[in-house]
Amino acid sequence: MSTAPVRSSAAVEGPPDPDLIRIRDLVYQVAGIFHPDSKLRLLQDRCGRRMKELKVLTMREYFEHLTIRPTRQTELVSLLNEITIGETYFFRNQPQLDALQQIVIPKVIEAKSKLPLKRMRIWSAGCSTGEEPYTLSMVLTEELQRRLKDWTIEILATDLNERSLAHAKTGIYGTYSTRHLTAYYRQKYFTPNGEQLEVQQAVRNQIAFSRLNLSDDARMTFMKSLDIVFCCNVLIYFDLASKRRVIQHFYNNLLPHGYLFLGHSESLYGVNDDFRLIHLPGATAYVKGERVQAGKQAL
Amino acid sequence: MTADTSKASLLSRVEGLKQIPTIPAVLGPLLRYLEQPAEQLDVQKITDMIAQDKSLAAQCLQMANSPLFGRWQKIDSLRTAIVGLGIQRVSDIAMSCGVLNLIPGDTSGIDPVVFWEHSLGVALVCRHFARKISYPDPGKAYLAGLLHDLGIIVNLWVLPKEFRGAFDLARAEGIPLHEAEKMELGFTHCESGRMLADRWELSADLREVVSYHHSLPQGHEHASLIALVELSDLLCRMSGLNHGFIEKREVNLFEQTSFAVLAQQCPGVKDFDWARLTFELDSYMDDVHTLVHAIYRK
Repeated sequence: MSTAPVRSSAAVEGPPDPDLIRIRDLVYQVAGIFHPDSKLRLLQDRCGRRMKELKVLTMREYFEHLTIRPTRQTELVSLLNEITIGETYFFRNQPQLDALQQIVIPKVIEAKSKLPLKRMRIWSAGCSTGEEPYTLSMVLTEELQRRLKDWTIEILATDLNERSLAHAKTGIYGTYSTRHLTAYYRQKYFTPNGEQLEVQQAVRNQIAFSRLNLSDDARMTFMKSLDIVFCCNVLIYFDLASKRRVIQHFYNNLLPHGYLFLGHSESLYGVNDDFRLIHLPGATAYVKGERVQAGKQAL
Repeated sequence: MTADTSKASLLSRVEGLKQIPTIPAVLGPLLRYLEQPAEQLDVQKITDMIAQDKSLAAQCLQMANSPLFGRWQKIDSLRTAIVGLGIQRVSDIAMSCGVLNLIPGDTSGIDPVVFWEHSLGVALVCRHFARKISYPDPGKAYLAGLLHDLGIIVNLWVLPKEFRGAFDLARAEGIPLHEAEKMELGFTHCESGRMLADRWELSADLREVVSYHHSLPQGHEHASLIALVELSDLLCRMSGLNHGFIEKREVNLFEQTSFAVLAQQCPGVKDFDWARLTFELDSYMDDVHTLVHAIYRK
């Protein structure tokens, strides 16, 4: 029997650099995004890009750029931009979508079963160029033939960035965004537009795009009666106090049975105690700590 | 045949346990030896015990070189492994390989390795979780996680056809395996595992973990160890270290009895960062799959 060392191909070769681990912990503490050991190479690569830009040679020195130097806040944002770059594409988090379809939607239907109005309201908060709300619209359209027969679907898609929203409203995407589309979804919900793909009208009709700053307390108060909120890779850019305010708004805006989904490996630890982490197959989400039966609260 | 007689007949077959191999010869004495206080343990004696079984020793070396056990320099002998990793780690590794060797090759179409992957995953999560919440004996937590599903191995050996029925039901419906076993067999792997744990004369706390990791009794002497295993098991079943199929449900750890029980003994559990532990599982998944492919599927 061979006794060759067993190494995970995804892991960083050799013991992880302690300064890289410190950066991992800093990113988690500040932005709530965690890089498990198997993703450390990715973090190292993203740090490497910033180090090249700054002409920094060691991870230790780069850690100082992130923690001690006067430009540390700016540098942290630059690193977070590197970490989340290329994160926007259709069907980005399949286990999360499977959990939505197989578990969360049936739970919401059950919670609202005694209500006369069959309406499901979903908010894509920080929708960027629109891939997330369109993905949700397609997944829910599939359910309209099954569990959601006779239901109305409303998807609110908001972002702060006007240019991203303008792109989202065109519904036209290139190969990068559409690379994870299965042939089924591609054929059923898209029309070719030159080299690109255009989202069909039926998918677009369920979505209302609007500009919204999540720090705008007055406007946040009006996002009421939500069943599910998706807020992926957005909170990472907020400081702790702002993050807490935004999360509290989500809590208030969600119905008692509501669900909050964050991005992959994104956590609310240390930010909010009212939401409870739940485990779905291959994904996590947050629910209200003291869940009460739908209908007991005015909808 | 009534449901009761059917259950009794199945259980009597399990009780016979004729087909199942005995605990690997090395591991019984090793387990008993390791029950002694750490300062009385002798490295040479442990090396000699494991080296008696050459195949086991080779597997141990392969495992000792996995990142799962935290070593980054090549380990080429049992002695180096013990010196480099410590007695506890090496005995964890020996036990893990021992359990792997118990899994039957032909299991009526079920891939038996998923159960070993799951057990190894639960063991690693138990140890990691135990350390984070300052549970007094992380080594015991590892062993408890590794052995908690012993009954599945029993069922695979003794009742392969019937167990296949339960497994297929669980997979088709997306329900926990023990619920499907209850429906199909009338009993669960907790009961069959207990019979083997008794026969192997495992320590009382491990026997209780095997018996109660799906039904924690109130006020139990070993409740915190059982609770720790139950929560780690749940986390693994909701991740890629499951039983080879997806359980279609939502799990709120804070609503589990085991959560309340563990929080009584380890107050750190209340403020514990479950999200981070869940994300850390991703690393285990990759490394467990890599290790299993290297050792078992060559």
